[in-house]
Amino acid sequence: MTPLHYIGEFVRSSMQAIPLSAVRMIFLAVPILLLIWVLRLPNSKTTRPDGTGSWTQNLKFAASIALLIQILIYSLL
Amino acid sequence: MTAHFSGLDYSLLVGYLLATVVLGLFIGRRVSSGKDYFLAGRSLPWWAIGMSLVASDIGGTDIIGVGGAAYSYGLAVGNFEWIGCVPAMIVAAFVFIPFFWRAEIYTIPEFMERRYNAAVRSALAICWLVFMACNLGIMLFASSRMMSELFGWGAIPCILATAALVGLYTVAGGLAAVVYTDMIQCVVMIVGCLAVLVIGLIDVGGIGKLKAELRKIEQRQSAHSAVAQRAGDPSPPLDRDMGLRDADNLNAELEVSQAGRSPAESPTAAQQYPTRSRQTSLQDDAKIQHIQLILPVDTRTPFPWTGILFGLALILSPAYWMGNQAIVQRSLGARSEFEAMASYVWGAILKSLIPFLIAVPGLIALVKFPNLEQGDHAFPKLVATLLPTGLRGIFLAAFLAALMSSIDSYLNAASAIVTYDLYKRFLRPNSSERLDMWVGRASTLILLAWAIEFAFFLMETGEGIYAIFQTMMSFFQGPALAILLAGVFWKRATGIAAFAGFVGGVLFSVILFSLSQESVLTALELQPLFQVEEPFLYFTVWAFLVAMVIVIAVSLISPPEPPEKLRYVIGNERGMKA
Repeated sequence: MTPLHYIGEFVRSSMQAIPLSAVRMIFLAVPILLLIWVLRLPNSKTTRPDGTGSWTQNLKFAASIALLIQILIYSLL
Repeated sequence: MTAHFSGLDYSLLVGYLLATVVLGLFIGRRVSSGKDYFLAGRSLPWWAIGMSLVASDIGGTDIIGVGGAAYSYGLAVGNFEWIGCVPAMIVAAFVFIPFFWRAEIYTIPEFMERRYNAAVRSALAICWLVFMACNLGIMLFASSRMMSELFGWGAIPCILATAALVGLYTVAGGLAAVVYTDMIQCVVMIVGCLAVLVIGLIDVGGIGKLKAELRKIEQRQSAHSAVAQRAGDPSPPLDRDMGLRDADNLNAELEVSQAGRSPAESPTAAQQYPTRSRQTSLQDDAKIQHIQLILPVDTRTPFPWTGILFGLALILSPAYWMGNQAIVQRSLGARSEFEAMASYVWGAILKSLIPFLIAVPGLIALVKFPNLEQGDHAFPKLVATLLPTGLRGIFLAAFLAALMSSIDSYLNAASAIVTYDLYKRFLRPNSSERLDMWVGRASTLILLAWAIEFAFFLMETGEGIYAIFQTMMSFFQGPALAILLAGVFWKRATGIAAFAGFVGGVLFSVILFSLSQESVLTALELQPLFQVEEPFLYFTVWAFLVAMVIVIAVSLISPPEPPEKLRYVIGNERGMKA
């Protein structure tokens, strides 16, 4: 076995030790953390520069929809 | 198996193809400069770009292949569209896309020279060009083979007809033609696949009934595994096809062997199937495995969670949505920075729907036709069996729409790299906008000719070469992402380090790939490095990590970059335009 095999075996064993329920939490954490980040973005970065448009045209709204769909999917499946 | 289409189906198909080509040619009348040809004159609206992003990403073989993978392995293939797209698109929308748009670049390699140096630009440009040029041929070859097998059409006419149709409007209209025809193709794709999904769900009795039938199929699989285990087979085939074809005989054997035993004495699948890890999900009787997205590390499918999370979601997906010229280029043609961002967010919403349209039909096919020899026959079989005349034509149009929308994107993007990263950069830096347009059109034609020739070459050399090419093309995406991230976020990253990291990362991918080949393993008397069927996701992770380590190490020992380079670091971008 090469050193790469030993590294691979170590990583594989470590990953196998993580229960799937915890893995699901990790998968959910990705869109949840992103959602928090998006919601905290300043409005200047997510709206038109001239400030026109309703709240639905704030990109935070659409991005939140996309991420909430992911949270729902990875919670249920 | 071949599906049969009526005159009405073909009429719908021809009508759709004609409309696409006419639209592309109409748009092409207004193209008069390189900026028009490659960036649509920066006039594209967010909704068109978003739909084009989705259409470009889904190829013709993806519709069939994803349905086939869902048939064989379950809904885990949906990860490629969900966690494998949406997070990266959202980050790209708010961080990278506005940054690239403000820089007024034409290509990603161009950005790399501004941040690093010409060597990095050239290395990246050559890799992307080779990748896209070969991918064009592969798309033509794979799709023609699929069309030949499933629809009974000749492979060579398929290649030539597809190339001619796509070439016509792409050469004429450039990015604008690509994006607006992609928009139509996106609608046709969604309608066609939605028809299959809705009719299929009605046919099987709804979602509840679908789940119940999937559970029954899996119980039969478990029974087969139990019998095989008892027969002393140390690794019972999890191949669903074999399991189901033999299931009836094996179930009969199980019943005979259990005759006279009380339920308490009869071995269950859980008792028979050995525990391999805490993650072995086959023992979880409550869940339907075919709709599980998160599969264990030791799964026999190509979708272990480690590959999906680390390889796909964290590396390949960002490399694709932030660094793939064929994808990013359309947002560079947006009419404003806000619309460039909005296009990605809109695309992310659309992407969330895609697995329902193309993966769930694979599950429906599993319930209706559990004994198919190949998963790739699932979608066409559903189309042939369920869809009435007329709707079959729409599905056919959807398939071709998916194929054409990918080919036109790669054609235009590869041409952009030839024109700006090679021709304009090294031969005629002061060429006029009009000349750039003509060079773009000429290079598009040449690339098309190459793609046809390469597709014919693949037809002659067969499966092995095709599979190798597909894997090899993923070698450089991890390292490309590493140097992009380092350059955009870390002022200390240097050009020398980026070049070394890129080359080192690609070489490491090649080493890993070589150490996964049977012939090499036998010659060196080694065990396989990876235990999954297709470890390309893992190649990407390790290549990214190696590239990043090299970039960091070499950056720290090389002289810092001058201030004009550091304008291309996020947070430092005053005066970023060339």
